Amino acid sequence: MAEEKKKHKKRRTATEAAASIGPMVKEFISGTLRAKEEGRKVAFTFIVCLYDEILRAMDILPVWTENFAGICGAKRDAERFLERSESLGLSRSLCTYALCGIGFDQWREELGEMPPDAPWGGQVRPDMMLSSGQILCDPRNKWYQASQLYMPDVPVYNIDLPYPLYEDDVEFTDVRDYYVKHIIEELRGLVAFLEKQTGTKMDYDRLSETVDLGERTWNLIWETYDLRRAVPTPMGTGDAMNTMVPMCFMMGTQEAYDFFLGLNKELKEKVARKEGVVEDEKYRLLWGGGLPSWFALSDFNYFNSKGAVFPAETTYRMIESMYQIYMPDTNDPIERLAWRWFGYWVFWHNKARKRPGSHPDVEWLIQYIEDYKIDGIVMHEAFSCRTWHLGLIWQLNQLAKIYKPIPVLVLGKDGKKEKTNRELPSLVLESDIIDITTYSEVDTRNRIDAFIETLESVAKSKVH
Amino acid sequence: MTKVVIMGEEIMSSVIGPTGPEQRRLANNVMKEALNRAGLPFKSISYVVATGYGRINVPFADKQITEITCHARGVASFFPDARTIIDIGGQDSKGIKINNGRPIDFVMNDKCAAGSGRFLEIIADTLGIKIEEMGELALQSKNPAVISNICTIFAEQEVVDKLAEGIPLKNLVAGILESLANRVSRMVKRLKIEREVILTGGVAKNAGMVQALSDKLGYPVSVPPEPLLTGAVGATLLGKEIAQKAKERDESPERKERSLKEIEIL
Ligand code: SF4
Repeated sequence: MAEEKKKHKKRRTATEAAASIGPMVKEFISGTLRAKEEGRKVAFTFIVCLYDEILRAMDILPVWTENFAGICGAKRDAERFLERSESLGLSRSLCTYALCGIGFDQWREELGEMPPDAPWGGQVRPDMMLSSGQILCDPRNKWYQASQLYMPDVPVYNIDLPYPLYEDDVEFTDVRDYYVKHIIEELRGLVAFLEKQTGTKMDYDRLSETVDLGERTWNLIWETYDLRRAVPTPMGTGDAMNTMVPMCFMMGTQEAYDFFLGLNKELKEKVARKEGVVEDEKYRLLWGGGLPSWFALSDFNYFNSKGAVFPAETTYRMIESMYQIYMPDTNDPIERLAWRWFGYWVFWHNKARKRPGSHPDVEWLIQYIEDYKIDGIVMHEAFSCRTWHLGLIWQLNQLAKIYKPIPVLVLGKDGKKEKTNRELPSLVLESDIIDITTYSEVDTRNRIDAFIETLESVAKSKVH
Repeated sequence: MTKVVIMGEEIMSSVIGPTGPEQRRLANNVMKEALNRAGLPFKSISYVVATGYGRINVPFADKQITEITCHARGVASFFPDARTIIDIGGQDSKGIKINNGRPIDFVMNDKCAAGSGRFLEIIADTLGIKIEEMGELALQSKNPAVISNICTIFAEQEVVDKLAEGIPLKNLVAGILESLANRVSRMVKRLKIEREVILTGGVAKNAGMVQALSDKLGYPVSVPPEPLLTGAVGATLLGKEIAQKAKERDESPERKERSLKEIEIL
């Protein structure tokens, strides 16, 4: 393990903004440790729960437990915490973020101080844990209940954040009001719980300002990422795995807004100078799903070394343009949050309904393939996260069935060449988010090499 | 296995040598053997392409190309109408969709021994039979045993238990081949199989396996004359093409420094 850690060098990013993320996360972690010492309230929580602004408006510092596990993974130092969870009786096939977090917390509680050499100072003891019931992600419900075994005095508050699943013959508008009403009630329940924990009332003017800032940040991110459509693309998915930090962990803060202002400026300058991620851009790929292997982000650089870039990804694209999300006329910030949540999750439903055999996730891929001039799709099946990974192969199969953008000549039955259309080539990588024992660099890169050659031969077979 | 094919107008010599941790360094020996058989000095070889997992361990290669591209090319030289290749090797298995001898999509299993030829080697060992005998034995069975474990280690135990229960050897072997065919066909079906389907790799020499796979896929499966060599033949053809193209431009192909020494692996 020590060897592994030593060998792991800092990864090269295409943008300066992405390079600035490491110190930002480090400061983020130390900030939670400082806040705790200063007596500020600290809450464990999950990303994409859309109540970030509520916490910010109440001066509660969120500790994103998925993020800390990801840091352990990126530093190739998760194994000891995973093993600890296993010895507590938890199965290794559970979400490895949860296993890492529970293992760490149990160890910290047992020692009464941070475990030795805790990554970036360690994960702070929380004042409360906020979980949320969401489709498929069982850790969002169960992780903190398990952690509570080792911190029985820390309260857990669970809210329900549902969204309707897609059915091609059912209009979501039929159930929309019911869903939104329910989410509003859940968010109000959360506010009441937080008021009790902090002993202060929510300042709704401040919440309105924070939600407003959040919405402006959504639009800014959307516009900024859209700049990546340029050929050559100025930023790839490798960098987006860094820039997801202000998007997913700092929503509703001026810092996040300013970060994306900076990135926007940097990308515009790069586009004007025609400065791409690689000098000679040959293949434009879509990261079409799956959380990355945090310990192997340098695989993105490996793709780059072959002239392949990722102008877009569906992973951690947890925003849409607010101009395209239905928002009724309301000034109530809680209501706005609930409508934003609902609008985000049904965003692709209407588009999918228009294409027979499609599905929102597939429609999302098609839109990006067209917008970003994509030549091939890469997905990552991380075995331990069912939430993001269930259905990826189905999506690829379905996409291949309904969308064939590549014109090629094939040998017909009579021996003559016939023109037909083919699906985009795709590559599925298999490993995990932080469990390094599932990863083989040689095998992964062998697959990447073969995929690049496939792209090359598809490009050659293409008829113009 | 390390394979070498030397080609002029046609194949001049071919050698299949062992791989393994030690032999990995010794691609040079297999090359020497192939040169001996062809009666050629090393300097007469105009271009060398290395392929397979060990391709980075061949210091005298001018170019490295993955086995996906090489298999596509090699198989198409035997079967011009081939559209789907299934390769079951000792360490992995893969499915390749091809068009005009070029790969257009592929899937790979490099994670699990139960989907590779290694599975058969281990079970043959457990049953005390030679791997070459498996095919014939399986074809005699009318009632293949059901092997329910998908992990090699547990399947091995299951086979031992079933043998003790008195299940005939031929049924057990047929069950094992079916289990492998099952795993491989599930993986390859992701490619939407099109005819003609070609099976390569050591396992293709096993007639029982060819039958089991064909039954599972619902398509006839063809096997090239030397199923272990198709990748190497493809590499040679691709190398030849590079050399010829350079010649047409009156240039010599870009080549690496040549040395037939064994390599050092840390
Ligand atoms: S299961 Fe997936 S989405 Fe849920 S906490 Fe784990 S990694 Fe995150």
